[in-house]
Amino acid sequence: MLSYLVHRILIMIPTLIAISIVIFTIINLPPGDYFSTYIAELQGSGEAADLAKINFLKAQYGFDRPLWEQYLFWVGGLLHGDMGYSFAYNLPVNQVVGDRLLMTFIVSFTTILFTYVVAFPIGVYSATHQYSWADHVLTLLGFLGLATPSFLLALVLLYLANVYFGISIGGLMDPKYVDQPWSFGKALSVAAHLWIPVVVIGTAGTASMIRRLRANLLDELQKQYVVTARAKGLHPLKLLFKYPLRMALNPFISDIGSLLPHVISGAAIVSVVMSLPTTGPMLLDALRSQDMYLAGSFLMFMAFLTVIGVFISDLALAVLDPRIRLQAGRRL
Amino acid sequence: MTVALVAPDRASAELQETPIFRDDVSNGKLPKVEQRVPEDPAVAELETIGIPGGELRMLIGGPKDTRMMVVYGYARLVGYTPSLELVPDILKLIEVEANRIFTLHLRKGHKWSDGQPFTAEDFRYWFEDVAQNKHLSPLGLPISMLPQGKGPGFEVLSETAVRYSWTRPNPLFLPDLAGPSPLYIYRPSHYLKQFHEKYADKAALDVLVKQATQRNWAAFHNKLDAMYRNDNPDLPSLEPWILKTRPPSDRFIFEKNPYYYRIDKEGNQLPYLDRVILSIADSKIIPAKTGAGESDLQARYLRFDNYTFLKAGEERNHYRVRLWRTGPGSQLALYPNLNVNDEIWRGLVRDLRFRRALSLAVDRHEINQVIYFGLAIEGQNTLLPQSPLYEPRYRSAWARSDANEANRLLDLIGLVKGSDGIRQLPDGRPLEIIVENSGESTEQSDVLELIRDSWRRIGIKLFAKPSQLTLFRRRVFSGETLMSIDKGIENGLATAAMPPWEFAPTTQQQLEWPKWGQYYETKGAAGEPPGLPSAIRLKELYEEWLAAVSEEEHTRIWRDMLQIWADEVFSIGTVAGVLQPVVVNAKLRNVPEQGIYNWDPGAYFGIYKPDGFWIDLSEASEKSASAVTQPTKPR
Repeated sequence: MLSYLVHRILIMIPTLIAISIVIFTIINLPPGDYFSTYIAELQGSGEAADLAKINFLKAQYGFDRPLWEQYLFWVGGLLHGDMGYSFAYNLPVNQVVGDRLLMTFIVSFTTILFTYVVAFPIGVYSATHQYSWADHVLTLLGFLGLATPSFLLALVLLYLANVYFGISIGGLMDPKYVDQPWSFGKALSVAAHLWIPVVVIGTAGTASMIRRLRANLLDELQKQYVVTARAKGLHPLKLLFKYPLRMALNPFISDIGSLLPHVISGAAIVSVVMSLPTTGPMLLDALRSQDMYLAGSFLMFMAFLTVIGVFISDLALAVLDPRIRLQAGRRL
Repeated sequence: MTVALVAPDRASAELQETPIFRDDVSNGKLPKVEQRVPEDPAVAELETIGIPGGELRMLIGGPKDTRMMVVYGYARLVGYTPSLELVPDILKLIEVEANRIFTLHLRKGHKWSDGQPFTAEDFRYWFEDVAQNKHLSPLGLPISMLPQGKGPGFEVLSETAVRYSWTRPNPLFLPDLAGPSPLYIYRPSHYLKQFHEKYADKAALDVLVKQATQRNWAAFHNKLDAMYRNDNPDLPSLEPWILKTRPPSDRFIFEKNPYYYRIDKEGNQLPYLDRVILSIADSKIIPAKTGAGESDLQARYLRFDNYTFLKAGEERNHYRVRLWRTGPGSQLALYPNLNVNDEIWRGLVRDLRFRRALSLAVDRHEINQVIYFGLAIEGQNTLLPQSPLYEPRYRSAWARSDANEANRLLDLIGLVKGSDGIRQLPDGRPLEIIVENSGESTEQSDVLELIRDSWRRIGIKLFAKPSQLTLFRRRVFSGETLMSIDKGIENGLATAAMPPWEFAPTTQQQLEWPKWGQYYETKGAAGEPPGLPSAIRLKELYEEWLAAVSEEEHTRIWRDMLQIWADEVFSIGTVAGVLQPVVVNAKLRNVPEQGIYNWDPGAYFGIYKPDGFWIDLSEASEKSASAVTQPTKPR
């Protein structure tokens, strides 16, 4: 088991190096750089850019050097925890990202919680009561949730919330709390705004989780050991929770891997539509304007979390399911 | 010849202390208002005298938009009035001798927002220690201070007077000082000297530079010296509102400058509004947020097609939608690329008859009716009726819809129609024009759709090709693009004193002749020299304008250029003066009912001086505000 752990950790290093090369290459693929995009944008709105000053900036940030040199400079910085400099914000990337991470955590954790709380009971219920009318209704709702584009749902909910509850459109709190320290009022305001993004982002996830749980559980419920247990007179609820449900959980554990980066990135499109102060819109903007250190470092951070997440979920699976543990041991 | 521009005299009324500063004054944190405003403050001409207080909420699309407060605030050494006259603003007086020698007189006792005096030293610091320091400004003085490549002589005459003298006329100097993104020839020297190699203690500065993760002191100085970028809350300013929020943030608060230099006639120090709050929202959601009443004054990111939606929310959210005119010479114009690589096409677009035929075949009335509800002004891409230089013939030249005449011209060139009704190039290729655009808005595609139908009638096929902003410009510059569609000339309101650079090949950014413009811009190092007699003539006229001194000369040159521009149809205009929705809180006063929403001249709200806007909280305001404004038909 120990050598397995070491092996897994060592293999992360080449993975991350490969990812960093891919990220850097893709960001540099489109023609031009941040400054040329910026000039074009300024001219589009009628402002004249000071070309001399921009050439000066380019030289300052080493844009005139060959690409591999720029790459090494960036990666070298990353190793020291220096994520580079954001041109759009005129600030070090650490500062730009730091501010938004907390909000992203709040939104994502609430969404995950919402997904679990709603999906679990419904999934279990519709599996145990297969083809009842309640199962049909819940299935229909689930498919509706899966099929509705979340940005559309976001727009509709925003409009209704504004017209009927007077909640400001977009954002995670009333504008007057934005730059204030945390207080009871601010927390309340966040809570009042939070439900829309949570419902919108969570709907699709909830629906797919219901379907998966139902399918997994149905598989297990047909098996011999369930019939045996039932024949021996075990209480139906105890039976359900102790055996088939545990077996049906495996896919959710392996999901943790993708969950970790998801918690950081938030749902970009929905966040843009609702102008949430999360990291999603920031990343999208950075990619669009070729603010390469902001985009690159943030993507790198997410890649790092994915790698860690997959590692954790593998460990958790091994701990929870003896069958997986044994197989892993045999392979090594 | 000496022209002296003098600011109006001060009001006789006693100065009044501003309510929010009363506490600070009584406990000694701030000096009294008499000591805060200059000895001879500028007196604002206002429609109504306001009551100080209140705050204004506005929406911006990103953190870089904090610069808009410098644009709206519009505190300039000299600035435009709403009638586009150039008058001293921060300056008490400016003397101009033959457009060569400029003597600037400051207001005595004028102070920066931190209470330090604003003096000739601030001008000297910029001129000697910033603009001519090779680390801070590797390229030296800005272009508009270098007529024919020569910089001015600079003298400090007294604490409050400085003089710039050139050997040749420099007509670009004053318009640039008055620009929305102005030429700043002064700096808060007392603040910036702490970060300047020449004045600061080296060891201490190195520590600061390191802490800020900057590469060297020059980069650090440039980062802090953000007069236009406006993202440094520590930088003293002369603007009406001062940034208080340190970036990054999603909400920026600007507070009233206690040392502002303007007062109203009753002696209240401006600005009236205590705070201006800019909140960031995605630019696409800004119309929706505005319609929900989340902005008290909004025009940026609103478009004409949001009008009905905004209008519907007026009563519920207590605002009014006003329609202002926009300033570009044409909302959208087609630019045949005279530098296109394909030789046959190049010959064709350089043929005057071809460009005229294309213009005649555009049905501008249809575009106006279908897309702009008939509220726009039809015609070529040239000056607007509000400009003193305007003549109807500039706008109407080759702008009527006349397919017969267009067909006749194309026949004359010898472009014969094929069996499918499409004309053919001399080498047998069909006459198919690909019009590229930056893909920013659906408006361009809509207009192109209409033009495609009308060009079909003269045997020309049009294809629209949306692309991406950077790519789009790159393709035009390199000659890959045959024709492009984009905004028309920027300044449709020009007066004779403003440079006519948009009508001559002067920069690569001009989509009709990027290579000729680049040739001028780089002084012949790149690009190609103009290859048409008319374009050469335009360039010569522009150079004459730069050397001219009197207003008569300037006017004559402008008219010559406009006439050539109209005859030659270098760009094909559609409609202009498209209306800009401006959402104004029902309680906000002194915002004009009708105005011009323009970048330069105009600075958007700038020329209407938002320091005089105020919020009317009295009962009566509700009633007067319910008078609904109507869109006005163009002349």
